[in-house]
Amino acid sequence: MSMDIFLQQLLNALSLGGTYALLALGLAVVFSIIGLINFAHGELMTVTGYAICFALIWGLPFPLAVIAGLVVAIAAALLMERIAFRPVRGASGTTLLLTSFAVSAILRVLFQNIISARPIPVSIPSSMSGVVTIGPLHLGMIQLISIVVTLVMLLGLNLFLHRTMAGRAMRAASEDFAVLRLMGIRANFVVATAFAISGLLAGVAGLLWVAQRGSVDPLMGALPVLKAFIAAIIGGLGSLSGAVAGGFLLGFIEVILQAYLPDSLLPYRDAFAILLVIAVLLFRPQGLLARKTLVKL
Amino acid sequence: MKKNKLLLISGAFALLASVPAMAEDLVIGLATAQTGGLAPYDQPNLAGLQMKIDEINAAGGIAGKFPIKTIIKDTRSDSAQTALVAQELVDAGAQLIITPCDADPSIAAGMITQGAGIPAISFCATTPTLPLAVGDFMFSNYPADNVQAAMLAAHAIESGYKTAYILTSPDSAYTLKLPQYFGEAFTAKGGTVLGEGTFSMGQQDFSAEVTKIAAMDPKPDVIMTSAYEPDFPAFVRQLRGAGVMTPILGSDGIDSPTTFGLGDLVEGVVFSTAGHATAGSPLEAFNAKWTEKTGAAPDTIYIANGYDLGNIIEAAVTAADSVDPAAIRDGIANLENLQGVTGPITYKGTIGMPLRSVSLVRIKAGDRELVAQGQPDPADIPAP
Repeated sequence: MSMDIFLQQLLNALSLGGTYALLALGLAVVFSIIGLINFAHGELMTVTGYAICFALIWGLPFPLAVIAGLVVAIAAALLMERIAFRPVRGASGTTLLLTSFAVSAILRVLFQNIISARPIPVSIPSSMSGVVTIGPLHLGMIQLISIVVTLVMLLGLNLFLHRTMAGRAMRAASEDFAVLRLMGIRANFVVATAFAISGLLAGVAGLLWVAQRGSVDPLMGALPVLKAFIAAIIGGLGSLSGAVAGGFLLGFIEVILQAYLPDSLLPYRDAFAILLVIAVLLFRPQGLLARKTLVKL
Repeated sequence: MKKNKLLLISGAFALLASVPAMAEDLVIGLATAQTGGLAPYDQPNLAGLQMKIDEINAAGGIAGKFPIKTIIKDTRSDSAQTALVAQELVDAGAQLIITPCDADPSIAAGMITQGAGIPAISFCATTPTLPLAVGDFMFSNYPADNVQAAMLAAHAIESGYKTAYILTSPDSAYTLKLPQYFGEAFTAKGGTVLGEGTFSMGQQDFSAEVTKIAAMDPKPDVIMTSAYEPDFPAFVRQLRGAGVMTPILGSDGIDSPTTFGLGDLVEGVVFSTAGHATAGSPLEAFNAKWTEKTGAAPDTIYIANGYDLGNIIEAAVTAADSVDPAAIRDGIANLENLQGVTGPITYKGTIGMPLRSVSLVRIKAGDRELVAQGQPDPADIPAP
């Protein structure tokens, strides 16, 4: 019995960690190229949610609404780069960080005052509420989808980075942007590609997030981007595989603490989770899978 | 000479200050949230209040002689900003201040208004200790957590539930205390609380908690939680997904279109709320009026709740027959059985948390079914 419960919790950790991994990866892709931690990443998730929501209201079938949501997320990421981040590219890390906070704050206020301050329901097909039972284990449809989607995205990104010209250019850019430009690769192209990938990752994570909660609200992106940030830090900022490892580790820590902390300590779960994160960083100050070279800000 | 000039100037200012903007205007200062985490509650309340104010002013003011002037400032859902805004409103001559839909910023604002001797009313803070923390010039405009909890506990006992599991979040007074009040009231009536689980607000992952509930032995008869969006939908989806079909009791936070959009998942869920539009009720008439005016049916009870705040202000100023802040305070504190659109409202004999009717609603086929309506027996309400 208790072994079953442990396996079930492990599965829970895998699913939560997968979502965190997607989120952290979205931050890491951009950071590895231009040294920006995009705190407006969460708002890309919100944009995806609204896009799916309105597409459904306009009568599109669910799969098309999902595609619309992802397309809008990528477009929003590209716009964000073009309007807000390109003008400050190359500025200090602090400037970039503050710019991303500003983009995030402006978008939230716009959502609140143009769309609605109150959550808007998204009718998720009931097939997504289903459960898969494997022996004694239960796996929610959304949990299953998040595990599968995470694996597919990780595999896809890996292929993209290693097998395509754009992917190779991105990896080269994260090593040395100046040399890459000397090779005749346009900086704008590489940066835009990074944002497009980050938009796609935010879109997928946003879809999973919205499917779980059944509604979109203007402040929806705040918590996930924080988790993504923590996960990216544990993994080692700028390292893509580190972000994935960090995401899974954070999910694992949270689920195991929720499952096995004594009841009297449960209200302090998040504090314990952060303590463990700090402990990891004490032993590996650069994160789990830090790059050998220091990131140039 | 210089001194004389100074005297002259200060004399002129004193003269200016002593001339009221308009002899009998009631100036209401709104230190409420247009942005941030409280905006989903403050905005609809404000919309409802504004409708009542427009009606009052169209009729020449309260009692035909006190037109209402509002000064509205955004608090950004931040407690420090709320205190700052409250000070600005006091300085601008507000005779009554409205504070956000939460105890923390309301207490911050209350520290200013209490000292200035100006009555303050929170849009919909439910924490029953709010007036205790501030003083006799602080009021709220919503059924308190312990009142809702007592209604839910009475329903649980009537339904034959013997054991309960409560799910709380330490992240807010509402999500922590309401289920605990429920536990107290339920135990006092002979029920047993088998356990208390916790969650982090906004986390939306309940899988670990749900796995624990599913493994409970013996299983509770009912689960009570004050989780709301986005946590409640995620919780109920994952709970039912794990095959746990235990009945669920919730509170007014889930009175939202999202909940009703969850279909079969929420079938049979019973929750407490501030009003239910039975046929021929004032609330039904209000909803019709709102729909006619705005073209859309109200999506939350907070709109009617804000409108009722207007009713309270109108009744208190009429009773005071003055716009003097202290007289308005007394007017509010002595209101008894005022017929609002959400039901009767009484402040007399309370510390500032009104006695208001609570409705228990069951979700049935995506619609509302009234289970009970009224006020619990005062002896059954857990002490704040």
